[in-house]
Order: sequence, then C-alpha cells, then structure tokens
Amino acid sequence: MEPAVLLEVLSTTLRVASCAALVAAPCGIAAGWWLSRKEFPGKSVVETLLALPLVLPPVAVGYLLLALFARDGWLGEDALGFDPGVLFTWKGAVLASATMALPLVARTARAAFDGVDPRLELMARTAGMSPWRVRLCVTLPLARRGLAAACMLGFGRALGEFGATVVVAGNIPGRTQTIALAIFGEIQLGRADAAMQLVAVVAALAFVLSWSVERLQGAPRRDTR
Amino acid sequence: MSSRLEVDIHLRQRQFTLQVRCVAEVRTLGVHGASGSGKTSLLEAIAGWRRPDAGRLVVDGLALHDSARRIDLPPEQRGIGHVPQDALLWPHWTVGRNMRAGARRLDSAGEALLARTAEMLDIDKLLERGVGSLSGGERQRVALARALVGRPRLLLLDEPLAALDAPLRRRILAYLLRVRDELRVPTVFVSHDASEVQAMCDEVLVLDSGRVVAQGEPATVLRAGADAQAGFDNVLAGLVIELEDGVATLELDGGVRARVPSRGLEPGRRIAFAVHSDEVLLARGATGVISARNRLPARVECLADVGGAVRVDARLVAQGRGSLLSATVTRGAVEELGLAPGAEVECVFKASACRVWSAPGR
Repeated sequence: MEPAVLLEVLSTTLRVASCAALVAAPCGIAAGWWLSRKEFPGKSVVETLLALPLVLPPVAVGYLLLALFARDGWLGEDALGFDPGVLFTWKGAVLASATMALPLVARTARAAFDGVDPRLELMARTAGMSPWRVRLCVTLPLARRGLAAACMLGFGRALGEFGATVVVAGNIPGRTQTIALAIFGEIQLGRADAAMQLVAVVAALAFVLSWSVERLQGAPRRDTR
Repeated sequence: MSSRLEVDIHLRQRQFTLQVRCVAEVRTLGVHGASGSGKTSLLEAIAGWRRPDAGRLVVDGLALHDSARRIDLPPEQRGIGHVPQDALLWPHWTVGRNMRAGARRLDSAGEALLARTAEMLDIDKLLERGVGSLSGGERQRVALARALVGRPRLLLLDEPLAALDAPLRRRILAYLLRVRDELRVPTVFVSHDASEVQAMCDEVLVLDSGRVVAQGEPATVLRAGADAQAGFDNVLAGLVIELEDGVATLELDGGVRARVPSRGLEPGRRIAFAVHSDEVLLARGATGVISARNRLPARVECLADVGGAVRVDARLVAQGRGSLLSATVTRGAVEELGLAPGAEVECVFKASACRVWSAPGR
C-alpha cells in the first residue's frame, strides 16, 4: 500500500474516532452520572435502551440511523427543512461511531461514579459547596481514572467501528474510508499484503489503547482513603 | 456558648421509625445508645443528609427542616460542622486543602482560625501531606479541624472515636475536650460509650429503637442505664496543680483534690480521667494509713441492685455541688458498713487505677 494512501486512511480514521469520542464522552459521562446518582421511574428501561447498541448487530444500528436521517426520516431534510449533511459524509461516520461508542462510555463512566462514595459528596455540601461545585471539585476528580478509561474505550470502539459506519457513511476513499473499511476493501480486492499492513497499524493502535486503559483501571490509587 | 436545638421528627428506617422529640440547650449534648438505635440517622437528619418524613428541626430559631412549612434547607445552607466516624476526608486533596475546603470564608479572620485550629489539634505539620498517609487519629483530627474552620453554628460528632484503639481514643478525646473548652462551639456528640459521653457532655439523650428513652445530666442518666455486669466508669475533670513522684494532684469541682498518674501532664492543664466503679472502695470510721492515694469524703445518695452486687452512688463533699462517684460493692459490705442514703463514707481508690485523658502539651 502506498504511504500516501495509508496516511490518508489513518488520518480519516483518527479524525473520525477522535470526533466520535468527543461526542460520546460528554454524553456518556452525563448518562453514567445520571444512572449512578439518580433514582427515577423507568430507570431500568433507560439502562436497557442505552445498552442496546452493545447487543444489536452494528449493521442494524446503522440501518436505524440511515432511516432516521433519510430524506423522509424523523431527522431528514423534509422534517428539518435543510439537509443535515450526515449520510455518506465523514460526519455520518462520526455519528455512527459515536452511537456505537456511547453505551461503552456510559457503562464505564457509571462504574467510575459508583466507585465514588456519595457521602464524600454530602460532606462537601455540608462544608458549603454547591451541587455543581461538588460535581466539579469532588466527584469528577475522584472518578477521573475511570472516566479517562471510559473515554479511551469509546475512542477504541470508534477506531474499530465497521458495521454501522459502512451503512451510514459508505466506504468512500479519502472521505469516509476508515481503517476498518479499508481492510474490508483490500480483502475484497484480494490485496492480502495491503490488508495485513493495515491490520498491523490498527493492532499497534489497539495495543497502546488497551495498555493505557489497563493502566488506568488496574493501577492502585495512591490517594485512596 | 450554646444553641437551642428543637427536634420533632419522624424518619422511617428499614427496621424502625426514628421518632425523636426533644428540646435541648446545647453546649455539649450527648446522644447515647446501642448500635442501630438511630443515633447516626438523627445526626444525618440534622446535617440534611436524610430528609425526615415529617416534623421539624430548628437550631437557634433557624428552621433547617419544617415539613408543615415545606422548608428543607440544603446541607450547604445549614451551617453545620460534621465529623463522621470514618472522617470522610477528600482523598484527592492534601490535609491543608481539605481544611481550606471546609472554611466557608477565607478572609484574614478565616486564615487565623485555620492556623489556630491546626495548631490546637497538632496538625500544623501535616498540612502538605496527602490524606492517604495519615493514621486513624490524625484523620479524625483533620476532620475535626475541617469542621471547625467552617465556623459552624452546630458541630456534629458522630462516634469520632469508635474506629480507634483504646490509647488513641483517650488521646483524641483529650483533643475534643480542648476544643470544647477553648472554642466553645455548641456540639452534639454521639457515642455508645458512656464514659466518653460523661467526659464530654453536660446533657445526654438516650435513644433506643429510634426513640428518646431518657434525657438529663449524663452522670445521673447513664448510671441508671449502666450494664450491671460491666460496672460503670466514673469520669471526673479537674485542673492539674502539682506533680510529684509520678503522681499529679488535681483540683476537681468544688475544691476536691484527687491524685492520678502524672505521665504527660503539666501544671495548669485541665484534664479528664476515669476510674471504674469496681476500683472504688468505700470506708467508714477510722481507716488508719493506707497506700491508696485517694481518700475522698462523700455522702451516699442512692444504692442500686446490679445483679449480684450493689452500686453505691456517693456525692463528693465539696464547696457547692460535688461530683458523683459510683462504687460497686457486695451486699455483705452494704450491711457491714451500714450504707444507706445520707451515710458519710470515704471513697478510696489508687492513683494508678485512674485512666487519664490528656492531649500532649505545648
């Protein structure tokens, strides 16, 4: 595979995965906090809906997004009055990857918030801090390792996303072709060496990510109570 | 300084309903009872960590909670200082940062209070340390300091000594006594240990299954409920006036003098000490010379049958109202000595039988 093409694929992949992680992280962290700290009617239904992308075939999730953003879909051109520019663009790839990453981020973030003793937050309130200051100064810093791991897992999930992305964004070289789509393309064209080169690159990226997540989640905290 | 605390709350728990109704003028109010009697729930309701199902909580005229008027102040507006059993220090901050976070205002007066509190509790050398490296006693002192620098209208101490071993408990209790005597913050002190309550408090509420079963002066209330088998700790406080040959002479309330081990004490310090009722002998008539360093004249107030023995409560003869001292004796001794209310006796105990609660001097 020519270096220029490889760089282009890598650039598209990192751009899409980073943007997807940036979209999924705040949404997933907020959802994780909400599920960890609040009790409300129908909570189990929300939890199940949020977990759906983890168990549904990614192609099915992609198809639902495709239907949603189609011209006559609920978020399509006819409903909005303008073209949201999602389908078969890199934004579509971001949307599909973020959707698939969101449950993973939310579940990991929830576990991170569950690990923070709510009485530490109550103590901060008693010391005079407002609820928002407590979240910023106590909850988020204490959950930071788990939240960083959540973001990395979201990035990793987006990095390897294939099924939903190919349906929503297609496999357009230079525009929407991420590394997973490129490997599929090379295999279909019978170019085994090029496919293996891409596999080696994505394996190296995955190794660094997994190692970082393990370090964040497994390392003992120096500041434990 | 005192606060008027009015409590009339219902709070449904898993095993019982906490139903507390009392009015107390709080200087240091003890809340005593067995595990699961509702002590911590009461404190958490005052702090705003639990919402009562009905009722009202008022401190010095300020309604913290009033179901009828739909008032429920959030914890940050209650002006409460809270020291729980497990300290609950924020683990990602240093000792100094924990204390600063507890201070509601950090103007020059706030900085001065912070420095004074750190010095009083001997944590001024720990300010840069992470809280993960602190010992149990240091954690409790930091938690206490954090609560005090917020200038609370009411300080809640929830079993602050329960997680500590006996020597450390005595040491931290001495710090609590110092805070009580020097800063005079109205305090609610929860403990299942009767001697701690006696040492700290001027009034006590006794809880059982979520209800107040007794309220009054600790020496009287706690003696009435003392466990017959375990005996009873007499807790007395006094000023160190002299040190000699390993013995410190204390002046108790009303000018009574008592002698205790002098280790770690210095003249001019106010301390508390405990002596168990089993260690106190009663004598009548001429006893000659004996080795025990304490022979305190007293008058018997009441006798109570406690299992196989008799607990005799005697008030020390003093200028004004002396302290109450309990001795556990056999029925035979009661008959032989002719013990009855009004009888004049001597309370005899060795200095070495006294357990002294004292913070290190400066």
